[in-house]
Amino acid sequence: MDNTNTTIVETHGLTKRYGSGVLAVNSIDMSVRRGEVYGFLGPNGAGKTTTLRMLVGLIRPTAGTATAAGHAPGNPAGLAKIGSLIESPGFYPYLSGRENMRVIADFAGVNHKRVEEVLDIVELASRAGRKFGTYSTGMKQRLGVAAALLKDPELLILDEPTNGLDPQGMAEMRKLIKDIGQGERTVLLSSHLLGEVEQICDRVGVISNGKLVKQSTVQDLLGEKGVVVKAEPSEKASEVLIRMFGAASVVHEDGYFHLKTDPARSMEINQQLINAGIGVSELRPFERSLEEVFFQLTGEKQGS
Amino acid sequence: MIATIKAEWRKSRLRPAFLIAAGVIAGITVLVYAANWYLALHPLATRGGDRAIVSLATLYPDQFVNNVMGAAFPIGAAMAIVLGALFAGSEYGWGTVKTMFTQRPGRLTVWTGRVFVFGVWMLIMTFVLFGVGAATSVVVALFQGHAITGPAAIDLAKGIGAIWLVFMVNGSIGLALGVLIRQPAAALGIGLTYVLAVEIIAVRIINLINNGQFKNVTEQFVNQNATALTQSFTSPAFGTISPPAISADHAVLVLAAYGIGLTIVAAGLLRLRDVT
Repeated sequence: MDNTNTTIVETHGLTKRYGSGVLAVNSIDMSVRRGEVYGFLGPNGAGKTTTLRMLVGLIRPTAGTATAAGHAPGNPAGLAKIGSLIESPGFYPYLSGRENMRVIADFAGVNHKRVEEVLDIVELASRAGRKFGTYSTGMKQRLGVAAALLKDPELLILDEPTNGLDPQGMAEMRKLIKDIGQGERTVLLSSHLLGEVEQICDRVGVISNGKLVKQSTVQDLLGEKGVVVKAEPSEKASEVLIRMFGAASVVHEDGYFHLKTDPARSMEINQQLINAGIGVSELRPFERSLEEVFFQLTGEKQGS
Repeated sequence: MIATIKAEWRKSRLRPAFLIAAGVIAGITVLVYAANWYLALHPLATRGGDRAIVSLATLYPDQFVNNVMGAAFPIGAAMAIVLGALFAGSEYGWGTVKTMFTQRPGRLTVWTGRVFVFGVWMLIMTFVLFGVGAATSVVVALFQGHAITGPAAIDLAKGIGAIWLVFMVNGSIGLALGVLIRQPAAALGIGLTYVLAVEIIAVRIINLINNGQFKNVTEQFVNQNATALTQSFTSPAFGTISPPAISADHAVLVLAAYGIGLTIVAAGLLRLRDVT
C-alpha cells in the first residue's frame, strides 16, 4: 500500500512559550507523511527538541494542535504506535541493558521476546548483560534506539541520535537509521548535522528561532541542478544557449550563464558553443549544498 | 495497570537503595535488641538504683511487637523519607521519567503503579523489621531460658499495619518532595530536615504559646501522630508510661490523610507539569 500521501504527524500553529517567557516554538505547521524519513533540521536551540517533546506528550503546547500516529500527543493509544529517543537515552544505571529493555517492555506491554530481537538489531545482544552505567556513549545511544524500536512502532522519533558519538559511531548510527527507515515505518529524525540529513532523509523541515522556515523534499530544497558557463563573445553565446534551452532556462549574471539543465548535457553544450565559434573558458555543473541552503534559510553565517 | 506494576517491581527489586534500607532496618533492630539486652542484664544501668532501665520481660517474643515499634521509629521513618525522595527524584536525574511517560500507559497509571510498588517495599521493610524482631526475641528467650510464646495475632496485625502506615506516610513526604523538586538530593535533605528538626521546633514553639492554647494544631503534625501511634503499643512490662495525648484512632486518621493527600498532590504535579 502506498502510504506516502497520508500524514502520520501533523501540527497546526503549534506553539510553546515557557514560563520564563521564552518562545521556544512559534506556530509550527508541520506534516510528516507515512513511510518517509523526515529530517527535522535546525541549529542548536532552534526548537527541535521542544517540538518533538510536544509530539510525544512530554510538553504541553501553549497554543495550536498536533496529532501523532492518529492521536493527540500523550494519548496511550498513540504512544503505543510511537517509539522515541528524545535527547539522551534515559535508563536505570544499576540495571543491565537487557533488564532495562525488559522494564520498558513491561511498561509498553510488549513480549520479552521482542527485547532480544531489538538488541540484535542494534548489535548489543552480546553486551546486554552489562550494567547500563558502564556503557559507552555509543552503546547508550544504541540501547536508546533499541528501546524506541521495542513496540515495532509505526512512527519512530529520534532526536539527535548521533549526538556525542565519534565519527565511526556516527556512521554506524546513520546506517542503522537507514536500515530502520526502510519499509513502511516512518522516521522523524532531528539533527543539526546537515550531511546526516542529506544522506538519510526523503523530506526535511528546517526550523530556525522556533519557526518552520521551509518544508520540502531534499531535492526541492537543494533546487534544480544546472550548468554554469563562461563563454565569449557573450551575445553570440547567449543566442546559442537560448536556442538550446529556451530563454526561461538561461540567466546571464556577472559574466556567467546559469543554465537550468541536467549537468550530463555539459559535453553537448561545449560542442555547440565551439561549433558556433565561441570560446568556452569555464563549464561546470552547479548544485547547491544543503549547507548553503540551510544557512540561507536560517540566516546563520557560514563558519560562524 | 498490571503491566505498570510489573515494570515498577522489575526495576525496583534490584535497586540498591531498597536492599540497603532493608538491611539497615534489620541491623538496627538487632542492635536495639542487643543494647537493651545488655542494659537489662547489667545492674549498674539502673534508674534510681532499684530497677533496670530495660526490663528483660520486654525482650521476649510475646512483647516483640511493642518492642520493635521503638526500634522502627524515628530512624525507620527517616529512611522511608530518603527512599521516597530517591524513588521519585532519581527518575528525573536519570531521564527515565520521559522513558516511562512515552511508553503506553498514561501518567496517572504510571504514578499509581509506582505508589503501589513503593507501598509493597514499605511492607517488605515492615516485615523485615518484624521478622528480625521476632527472631531476635526468640534468641533472647532461648538464652535466658524463657518460654517462647508469641503475641496475639491481632496485636501483630495492628503493629504491622501501624508501622507500614508510619513508613508509608513518611515515604509519601519523600515521594512528593521528589516530584516537586525533580531531583533526589534536595528532596531528601528537605524531608529529613522537616521531620527531624523543623517539626520538632515548631511543635515546641506552638505548645509554648499561651500555655499550650494551640496544642490542637500540633496534634495534626505528621510525626506527633506517628509517635503517638507507635507509643500506643505498650504493656505493663514496659513500666508506667503516661498515655499519649493523641489517641491511636486520631493518629491513624491524620496519618492516612497525609499519605493520601501527599500522593494526590504529587499525582497532580506529575500530570500537569511538562517533562523538560
